[in-house]
Amino acid sequence: MLYNVLIVERNRLYLEKMAAVIQSLPGFELAARFQEPLEALGQGKVFKPNLILLDIDMDDASSLVKDFTEEFPKASIVCTGEKWQGDSASHFVKAGARGYLIKPFTANEFKSAIESFAKSGMESASQVLTFFSPKGKSGKTTLVASLALALARTTGEQVGVIDADLQFCDMGLFFNLDPASTIVEAVRDINFLSPISLASYFCEVEPNLRVLCGTRNPSLIDRVDIPSFEALIKMSRSLFRYVLIDVPSGFCPTSIAAAEMSDTTYLMTMLSGTYELQHLSRAREMFQDWEDIDERLKVVITRVSPCSEKERQRLSNDLGYSVEAIIPNEYKLVSEAANAGRIALDVGGASLFSLAVGRLAESISLHHHWEAP
Amino acid sequence: MIEDKISGVVITFFSTASAVGKTLISINMAAELARQGYRVCLADFDLQFGDVANYLQMQGSTTVYNAGQRLAENSDYPLEELASVCTYNDVSFGVLAAPEELSQAYNFTADTAERIVNRLRMHYDYVIIDTTSMFSVLNLTLLDLSTIITFLGVVDFIPTIKNMKIGNETLQSLNYDANKIRLVLNRSDSATQLSIREVEEKTLGSSFYHVLSNDFHAANESVQTGIPLVLRKNNNQLTKDLRQLVALYTNHTYQEDADFDEPTRKSGGWFSKLFS
Ligand SMILES: Nc1ncnc2c1ncn2[C@@H]1O[C@H](COP(=O)(O)OP(=O)(O)OP(=O)(O)O)[C@@H](O)[C@H]1O
Ligand SMILES: Nc1ncnc2c1ncn2[C@@H]1O[C@H](COP(=O)(O)OP(=O)(O)OP(=O)(O)O)[C@@H](O)[C@H]1O
Ligand SMILES: [Mg+2]
Ligand SMILES: [Mg+2]
Repeated sequence: MLYNVLIVERNRLYLEKMAAVIQSLPGFELAARFQEPLEALGQGKVFKPNLILLDIDMDDASSLVKDFTEEFPKASIVCTGEKWQGDSASHFVKAGARGYLIKPFTANEFKSAIESFAKSGMESASQVLTFFSPKGKSGKTTLVASLALALARTTGEQVGVIDADLQFCDMGLFFNLDPASTIVEAVRDINFLSPISLASYFCEVEPNLRVLCGTRNPSLIDRVDIPSFEALIKMSRSLFRYVLIDVPSGFCPTSIAAAEMSDTTYLMTMLSGTYELQHLSRAREMFQDWEDIDERLKVVITRVSPCSEKERQRLSNDLGYSVEAIIPNEYKLVSEAANAGRIALDVGGASLFSLAVGRLAESISLHHHWEAP
Repeated sequence: MIEDKISGVVITFFSTASAVGKTLISINMAAELARQGYRVCLADFDLQFGDVANYLQMQGSTTVYNAGQRLAENSDYPLEELASVCTYNDVSFGVLAAPEELSQAYNFTADTAERIVNRLRMHYDYVIIDTTSMFSVLNLTLLDLSTIITFLGVVDFIPTIKNMKIGNETLQSLNYDANKIRLVLNRSDSATQLSIREVEEKTLGSSFYHVLSNDFHAANESVQTGIPLVLRKNNNQLTKDLRQLVALYTNHTYQEDADFDEPTRKSGGWFSKLFS
């Protein structure tokens, strides 16, 4: 596809630089450039742009984005700013923008940004899912790894995994990754990053599945401060359609922040025949403040045998609230997969485990379609 | 007073993975020491979701939160009068359970924990501490205070072993005396293909101080009935292993045929002042 680019930029210097970048790139053509947004709105149409770079370093930028999306319904609007504005970004997205770029940018940065926006875009419909458990060993990491893979494959959308189980993070091992950078560096740099530069902190597993690994050493936990972690989640929304976050067990600043920032929190426990269901209910109590708790908090129980619809209903009845999904007892399958650095979904063919994970992936992506306007 | 000078032994159970048996084993350690006649208190510092009171079926026990409050009012408060008492046949030990409310757990400070343990060790011969599996400020404080740290591990799958290695290295970096940390393997020969020898050599750089057998049935029954394994007359390997571990800690030789009657559970009596 050939991009016909219209640039709106107040700053003369940036305008020239951007024009030069566009002109240097095969596949991109400079349609027109304006310093005045109103002029662009009035005259831009005759150039039939399908991509508009819009300067948002000005007052009332959101309404400007809205004006442009209305005036140019067929074009993608990409906002350009001197720094990442996490809070306003979501307004721009709601107003119809497809992406956000930090100025100035090189030709390479620009190209990969546009490619990424074309794939995922800064969709306001991005879903952040946090996986929370009262105690450890709930089967959380096993589920997140397989679910991420299932979502990436069945939807074709961009999927990101954040391992925020800060002290004893296992996601890197599950995906057999040797990360060059981790959540520690991402959080450290977050204020200087744009969504595109953030992407490089994640490890690519498949073209549309990336993992941000956890800390290498438990003492680094102090380096992950909560506001930066929240900024990381927010920015990840503009990179991925689905963001899955593995958090430490129990209530701690990290797990609470992730749950608060999420569209859906999965409250998890593994059946062991002791007091795990009591702990589950006690943890659930803590979320009662959420007005939309039924929408936002879903219960997943792992190691369930038999893993049948009847069993799910029985558990729901016993607990007095709905159990969204149950995952079968497949110890051999999942532990052997992890030992081999493979994802359980990929091992053992159409196992009960992959069936259950697939079903959960489906309910997540279906849910998404309902939400889409 | 002479009692002020006594400083009991503090044994903390710690791990870098969950569900490795910290709670089950700390309960049995407390029970076995009590059975041998020591004054023992078991304190649950798995604050949010502690299972000590659950596994002993002593829900509603006095909690560490209660203890902290009393000490805030009076730093000399005799906690042995406050602690609940787990009594089974003629064996009794004190119990301080995890807080009732999650908010009490969330706001509990390491300082308070330190004050509680230091007060407890003035009265009891042994203070047994159950923890969570993370390097939190609270846990580091408890580890510092401890006479012995039992670092428990299981060999189930590779991520757990990686975390055991990281945990062991982190513990080493705290520069405790070498014999303060005891590596204990639990659930040995559970369904796993990973060789223990290999873990010892490649991961830990030392061998396990003790190994406890895997016995799902016995462990589960103990949790279901609320009776510690070592207080029942049973001969399974896990119970023997547990007694042996305690014998190692007390420098006593463990007698295979330690004979005692099958005890019956006494009801009530939690708040009796058996120890005072
Ligand atoms: N569905 C399942 N059936 C049986 N065993 C499982 C299942 N899922 C996970 N397990 C096993 O349970 C253990 C814990 O799994 P996992 O690491 O995914 O849990 P977690 O909640 O992430 O634990 P942690 O608290 O260590 O982060 C592993 O040994 C794993 O193989
Ligand atoms: N040697 C053993 N053989 C078989 N089962 C065991 C053994 N030790 C413990 N278990 C079982 O393993 C489960 C976990 O034990 P426990 O709750 O004591 O672990 P924990 O380390 O305290 O876990 P957490 O970190 O979640 O508090 C329990 O169901 C217990 O009965
Ligand atoms: Mg995990
Ligand atoms: Mg425990």
